[in-house]
Amino acid sequence: MESGSGFGTGALVVVGLYLVMMIGVGWIGRLRRQSDSMADFYLAGRSMGLPVLLLTLYATQYSGNTMFGYTGKAYRIGFEWTVSILFMFSIIVGYLLFAPRLVALARRMDFITPGDYIRHRFGSPLLTLLATLLMVYALGNYTLAQLKAMGAAVEGITDGGISSDYGIIALAVIMVVYETLGGMRSVAWTDVIQGVVLLAGFSVLLFLVPGLGGGLTAVVEELSVTAPEMVGAPSLEVCNTWISFVLLLGCGAAIYPQAIQRLYASRSVSVLKRSLMVMAFLPLTTTLIALLCGLTGRVVLPGLEGVETDQILARLCGLIMEQSLAGYWLVVVIFAAALAALMSTADSALLSISSMFTRDIYQVHLRPGATQPELTLVGKIVSWVVVAVLVGIAIGTEKTLVRLLEIKFEVLIQIVPCFFLGLYWRRLQTSVVISGLLAGLAVALGLTIAGQSKLYGFHAGVVGLGVNLLICAAGRLLVPVKEESEA
Amino acid sequence: MKPEAPVEVEGLRDEPRRHPLIWVVYLLLFAVAVPWYWPTGYRGPLILGLPLWAAVSLGAVVLMALWTGFVIRRWWREED
Repeated sequence: MESGSGFGTGALVVVGLYLVMMIGVGWIGRLRRQSDSMADFYLAGRSMGLPVLLLTLYATQYSGNTMFGYTGKAYRIGFEWTVSILFMFSIIVGYLLFAPRLVALARRMDFITPGDYIRHRFGSPLLTLLATLLMVYALGNYTLAQLKAMGAAVEGITDGGISSDYGIIALAVIMVVYETLGGMRSVAWTDVIQGVVLLAGFSVLLFLVPGLGGGLTAVVEELSVTAPEMVGAPSLEVCNTWISFVLLLGCGAAIYPQAIQRLYASRSVSVLKRSLMVMAFLPLTTTLIALLCGLTGRVVLPGLEGVETDQILARLCGLIMEQSLAGYWLVVVIFAAALAALMSTADSALLSISSMFTRDIYQVHLRPGATQPELTLVGKIVSWVVVAVLVGIAIGTEKTLVRLLEIKFEVLIQIVPCFFLGLYWRRLQTSVVISGLLAGLAVALGLTIAGQSKLYGFHAGVVGLGVNLLICAAGRLLVPVKEESEA
Repeated sequence: MKPEAPVEVEGLRDEPRRHPLIWVVYLLLFAVAVPWYWPTGYRGPLILGLPLWAAVSLGAVVLMALWTGFVIRRWWREED
């Protein structure tokens, strides 16, 4: 939020109570645990029903970036950002390419982490470790971005009364407390509340924001005169970027470890199927509204430049707050939704990092004989250590930080062949997958470091994935099969 | 080279990957959703406040979401 748009005491108390409620829900999650095992702590005992699974998938998938970053992007580029609806939808298509088989296998083999599948399929500690490290790196960056946004949000609503640093520390502590209390059960139940608040926040935005510009038609007519490039169809190169976004998100976000673990955690396959059927429509209630808010902002508050454009939603909220008392309280709902989006994404990523470290590194490489209670305890300690490290980085670095701390999908997407191909190609050998992964990573990072984040409109990560897939396809034909390995 | 034996997974009776038709339909709908076939800068009439090209893209997303529901119901089947 911009300076001058801070909340009054009443609203801050409401937001505070909302945060305390998260810890209460975490405590209930602890009381409802069935056993002191990793499956119970990290997958809620594989017992998630439809409302919980749907809302935790939703709250986890739509981050704070959807509210602030996407409105800012729409403010800058206009209707080109319609691509955001398409790429968020493409994640569901990505699931259809591998989830039915992975879920069937996971239920039979009691997988807890994505690494469990990779170890089972390829039997390679090296590949599993490599994939796990890449996933931890990507999720670490993802969590870091959410923490930084949390700090900025707290500083905004308190008008600088609470600094960004203290905001980050306070919210991170709340998050890690409820997470370590009840693991996935607590995280998923807080996601239910956060998902409902998020949906309410977007509904309020749809109800209030376009009206600031006289309605959508008036906004678009105005933009057609003042910034026609924002309403016109994009060029062919931009269309390449649309395709690249579909590939990047459709593959990358579908294999986010926290998403895969939610596939594992459903009570039944039928619950999962129904959740995904609903999820296919949710970009229309989320990213579409972010697009409309950004466009309205361009008309109502023109002239913002650079990082200011990412504040457009906060500035629009400032206008709504000035209009009436009802508007003020609706903005409180929107802010709660923003916090919900940030925390629900960060807590899920954090839990996933903890599970991968405990299961795929500690248990496999350090203490193969560890008991289940010991492993869950280690997982909780890991959560606190990871939060401490990430908070330290979030506070100690400026936003001009090296690009390596921003890239996520470029790295994560190189694991795609393990899932999309490994589940179906019996001849795909470990050595080929590792070669493809390293080559794809080298291309993606090489292009990024060279300042070529896109090539002919295609993201560096997608170009790397293309090389990666080519190597896997060639290797499948050329590298002899050592031993039939069952997927 | 011997043909590659399909990987069987216990508990799974059918899945979308086994049906090329599903992916042909997705490909066609994605081809409609990506606005490559409009002249650059074209707006067209407004449909529910949206430029024609953006409305067509969104329409394709809605159709894909409906198709997804049908695909999941019809072609993702596990053992009873």
